[in-house]
Amino acid sequence: MDISPILKNYKKIVESIGKSSFTHVGDTIYIIVEPNKLRELAEILYWKMNCYHRTCVGVDERPLNGHFALYHIFGDDTNGLHIVVKVYIDPEDPVVPSITDIVPAADWCELEAYDLLGIKFSGRKLYRLVLPPTWPHGVYPLRKETPYNYRPSVKIISGEEIGESHDKAVVPVGPYHPALHEPEYFELYVEGERVVDVKYRGFHVHRGIEKLGESRTTYQQVNFLAERICGICGFEHSVCYALAVEKAAKIDVPERAQYIRSIVLEIERIHSHLLWIGVAAHVLGYDTGFMHIWRIRELVMYIAEKLTGSRKTYGINLIGGVRKDINEEKKKEVIEKLEIVEKDLKKLIDTMVSVPELKKRLTGTGILPKSEARKLSVVGPTARGSGLDRDIRRDLPYAAYSEISFKVPVYSEGDNLARFLVRVEEVFESISIVKQLLDQLPRGDIMAESIEIPERKMGVAAVEAPRGEDVHFIITGRGKPYRWKVRAPTYNNIPALKVMLRDQALADAPLTIASIDPCFSCTDRIVVIKDGRRYKLIPNKGGVVLYG
Amino acid sequence: MSKFLKKSIWVFHLNTGSCNACDIEILDVLTPYFDAERFGVKLVASPRHADALLMTGPVTLEALPKVINAIEATPRPRILIAMGSCSVGGGIWHDTYSTIGGVRELLKILKEREIEVDHVYYIPGCPIRPEAIIYAIGLIKGLVEKKISSKVKKAVRRTSG
Repeated sequence: MDISPILKNYKKIVESIGKSSFTHVGDTIYIIVEPNKLRELAEILYWKMNCYHRTCVGVDERPLNGHFALYHIFGDDTNGLHIVVKVYIDPEDPVVPSITDIVPAADWCELEAYDLLGIKFSGRKLYRLVLPPTWPHGVYPLRKETPYNYRPSVKIISGEEIGESHDKAVVPVGPYHPALHEPEYFELYVEGERVVDVKYRGFHVHRGIEKLGESRTTYQQVNFLAERICGICGFEHSVCYALAVEKAAKIDVPERAQYIRSIVLEIERIHSHLLWIGVAAHVLGYDTGFMHIWRIRELVMYIAEKLTGSRKTYGINLIGGVRKDINEEKKKEVIEKLEIVEKDLKKLIDTMVSVPELKKRLTGTGILPKSEARKLSVVGPTARGSGLDRDIRRDLPYAAYSEISFKVPVYSEGDNLARFLVRVEEVFESISIVKQLLDQLPRGDIMAESIEIPERKMGVAAVEAPRGEDVHFIITGRGKPYRWKVRAPTYNNIPALKVMLRDQALADAPLTIASIDPCFSCTDRIVVIKDGRRYKLIPNKGGVVLYG
Repeated sequence: MSKFLKKSIWVFHLNTGSCNACDIEILDVLTPYFDAERFGVKLVASPRHADALLMTGPVTLEALPKVINAIEATPRPRILIAMGSCSVGGGIWHDTYSTIGGVRELLKILKEREIEVDHVYYIPGCPIRPEAIIYAIGLIKGLVEKKISSKVKKAVRRTSG
């Protein structure tokens, strides 16, 4: 497709703003604007040009040019473009105008930049999101002068339980809750059986992965680190990181490697969606469905092990290609096993959707209207269940997705059933994609011959993970990334829960929370809970130092 | 091995900041293919009902107080099972800014607070394989012997004189 008229259009917009620069490389547009023009440009991009907001990234560029920088990444999915808007920020007084009132989707990433880099945003309420409440003020882990292994000195005190009075009854869900297998905390305010408001405190799984990638590891090692962002969609993160670096360094990846990446990505999508369907059935009290789905899923895990040598598809992706090839024998076995999966699953899904209780619980609950979905830039099956037709595999094809045909299921109802059906259809689509890819697998190398990564280059890549799009942003440095930023899909989807849970029956809350397929280990790489706490951490000022 | 766990082990799953891979293998091991339920293993909803705590992840700062609460709520004898590389030794997070670095640091903190843990089991792996979990169950219930290589045995003998 010829995108030059679209580019011209963007150029015109940027020129009309004045005092800004416009460059274009591949599928990415770089714009540098003055901080006071940022809001104007954001409004035009987000609402007039119909771009989604992917994320924003704060970068400590003081060693490079003496400034902090903030990158807002927008995505024009219909034309297949990433739009990176950069502002320089004064290092002495790092304040930049907030755009959350124009772009609600930018809420969390601004708070993250405030927490981790100390960039202040004018015109909004700032509070701590990512770091624990005990983290000392004035220490920003992602600033270059802070070492990655800095640990604050804290002590644990046991206090009385302090309950705060609310005019509404509070139902705490988590941080360790039988319906959730990850630590996160939801505070549901209820009136009778209806949920009237919800508060979320996550970020229990913030492990400092970005800082680690920028300080202790080399380019190729970050691939394996990226896999540990998430145990379910690890390969997606690894591929997304590799794509970002390959884009920044202009490395050509052999075709066969691209195909193998796509195959493993789709295998991961199948096992992740099966996992979700099982968990959803479990949350609904339909344990038979849960057990059967996981029985079927075991075959997919077998395929994953056959292809990558590990049940979790870990360890085969590198910048420039992959480490493991697929031979004829494996090809045959994968297709055989997938056929069994397809047959078994079809039978089971037919049974599942004919269970009237299941259908009733799913229909009409947890509704996310299209307008709200658009406002929050939700991604993945959550967006497609609400009538937003967006899929990175089709809109900005990467790996081998441009070589094959597949459908993108979209439902407009926006309820739990819609999200359920989107995922079910995607499993069958993925099975067909894997078969097509295996069928067309070209011959050749699986690793690029030479890999040279120049310094100070920028790369943005997006990958459609099972839960939505992963976005990785990279600035290259010497031997390791200078800045590596990860945006996981759940990051954009959690704020939508507030809309989905409001005015719902309490009994449907766990299902609705599960329906976005939240993956907190991705999200947390980052509301204080007031009630029922015995132990808590406080900043240590003298007294017993437990570690530090 | 342990006298008090001859029968069903009820476990409470405590994710202390892991990447989900281990957690999914825990669920996986309870479903029909590996079926750990035949050993009487059951996930329970509250630490107050649990015999053992399954711990995955390097213990993040945010999770730490909640983990201590959960461990204190578990009745004695208390068993802590550290699963996966992160939990066993901190893994790659052993010195990052927002974790405490695995079960050993946690045990130090627990000791300081005089919360006793009767047994600690380690299941290494990244992620742990379901077979390894089943082996650990066998070990806890005394169905299999601990496998130690002759090198380690010799080293232990040497250090203990």
